[in-house]
Parts: sequence; structure tokens; C-alpha cells
Amino acid sequence: MILSEEQINRYSRQIVLKEVGGIGQKKLLDSKITIVGLGALGSPVAYYLSAAGIGNLKIVDYDIVDISNLHRQILHFTKDVNREKTESAYEKLHALNPDCNIELVKERIIPSNVKKIINGSDFVIDGSDNLPTKMLINDACINLKIPFTIAGVLRFHGQIMTVIPESKTTCYRCIFGDIQEAPTGMSCSQAGVIGPVTGILGCIEANEAIKFILDIGDLIVNKILYVDLLVNSYDFINVYRDENCIACGDNAQDLVQTLDYGVDRVCQ
Amino acid sequence: MSVKNNKKKELDIRGKICPMTFIYTKLALEEMNKGEFLEVLLDYPPAVENIPYSCKRQELAEVFEIKEIDADKKVWQLILRKI
Repeated sequence: MILSEEQINRYSRQIVLKEVGGIGQKKLLDSKITIVGLGALGSPVAYYLSAAGIGNLKIVDYDIVDISNLHRQILHFTKDVNREKTESAYEKLHALNPDCNIELVKERIIPSNVKKIINGSDFVIDGSDNLPTKMLINDACINLKIPFTIAGVLRFHGQIMTVIPESKTTCYRCIFGDIQEAPTGMSCSQAGVIGPVTGILGCIEANEAIKFILDIGDLIVNKILYVDLLVNSYDFINVYRDENCIACGDNAQDLVQTLDYGVDRVCQ
Repeated sequence: MSVKNNKKKELDIRGKICPMTFIYTKLALEEMNKGEFLEVLLDYPPAVENIPYSCKRQELAEVFEIKEIDADKKVWQLILRKI
């Protein structure tokens, strides 16, 4: 692949970085990343990855834009209310960077389609808003050995971790596997969320994907970054792999086919 | 050591300004093997210092020679050796 004059100009401020260069830019242009959810987290993720020249983005969302989304879901505008989020996102991402091939998947991620959707991805980013979907993404990515990052946001705080199945790093289920369902009232719609915290966590997710593709820096593995913007705290919490984890442990099974995730029962 | 005995690549970035001067130099160096020479023709005065500085900082190349080849038109020839 030879970078065009326009590409050299477009990506010049990242090509100039020692860690990127033309070699790194070509890796980004060659890469395939799947983003699950085009809401508060998925919006900045998709925006920055498209802008960075990720060559192939698969964007997954079944939902339509609601006016209550707009304070945090920065890919969607007032004119997009009642429009499919994938279509709304595609319009902006394509306008931002036509270099990026974008595949739209207008489906809810469920056990029967998750592997088909993420298969072939170099990296998966969770931008979902509920625990069952995060567990499903965790289990499917581990089974297919696809690296991924998961973030969650609520009120003024958020958390993020990256999992590299090949390296057997601590997975989401190792830590949160005991939680059967989110406590009552603990969803964004009921507990609320401030826009900037979703932006910060989404940007960190995008940065994790870029670092993985380029094989640079340190990923947030075997630890969780916990952010509380109300008091401006950014803390890393070390977490450890559970050898008996049913998703990534020594006797792990393919959970996607057997477990009842309850994705279809998630409160909207 | 001489340029003549080694493989040499030429890059004309006259008309380009920073940071594109370094970016084009970097892209050319990335395609080269260690020890090979890159002869850069440039006419943006700050780049005479900026390119060697950035090449050194990113451990890409070292300066072999800098020559002002046209004082009137302010054109320089910068010879870099890939490291």
C-alpha cells in the first residue's frame, strides 16, 4: 500500500509521531475494528477511529436516536431524532473520512449473532449500555480470541479495561461474573450520566484500539481504570485472572451457546 | 565512508514546509535499509535544522552532510544516513 498525497496530509500529525509513522498508518488503514453500540461511548470511539484512518469499521446498533441521547451521544444531532443510529453515525463518519470503509449492522447483539458479527475483527470495542451485553461480548471475544476493550459509565464515573485473550489477561467475567443483574435503578436512564465522562471513557477505548493495532505503549490489562470526574480521580485497580473463570479459566467452555444472558430482557 | 559507495535515494521536497518536510523525509527513510543514504533537496530554511533534529530524536537517521547549493534561491542539500 502506498499512501496518497491526501492521506499523507490527512494523517500527517500522527504519521509524524515516532510511534506511528507511515508504517503504523498503513497498519491502521489495514485494520478491522467492530464497535458495538453507537451511543455515548460508541460515538467518540467511532469518530476518533474513523478520523485516525482505521480502514474498516463495523458499527453495530439496532436503536433509533432519541432526543434524550443528544447530551452525550455526539455523533447524533437534533435532526437525527427517530433515525437509525447506524445511519446517523454513517453520515457523519463518512463525511469525516471517506477513507474508512464502514459496514452497518442494524441488529441487537444476541448469543445467536454475536460471533458472526465480530468474527474477523482485529479488535472489538464495547460501547453497550448494559451488563448482559458486556458479558456476551466478553465471552464471544474470548472464544474467538479477539482482543477487546469494555467500558462502563454512570453518573460522573466510569471504568474501562482491555482484554487480550491470547495473553490470558484478566477478563470482564473474572471480575464481574458474580453479578447476576444490575441493581435496580443502576442504568443510565434512571441513574443519569454526565456527557463528558462518556467522552473521556470512549476516547480511552479508541486509544486502546489504536495502541493494540500499532503494538505500542501499555494497554489497560490486568487492571481497571476507574475515573470519577466529580472529584477528578483517576485510579488504576489491579485485577487478577480467575483460574476457575467459566469464560477464560483453565477449563473454560464456549458460553455463548449455552448461557442465558438475558440480553432480550434488558430494561431500555 | 562515502555516499558514492552506498545505495542512495533522492527526495525533492522543495516547496514543502514544516512539518511536511520531516514527514516526507521520514516516509522515505522508512522504506530504506540501515546505512543507506538519503539526499534531500529542500528550500524551507527552518527545515535545515528541524529535519536533522527530528531524525535524531526519532532515531531514524544521522546527518552526513549539509550543503547550501543555491544561496540565491536558498536551496539546501541534506544528506542523511539511515540508522
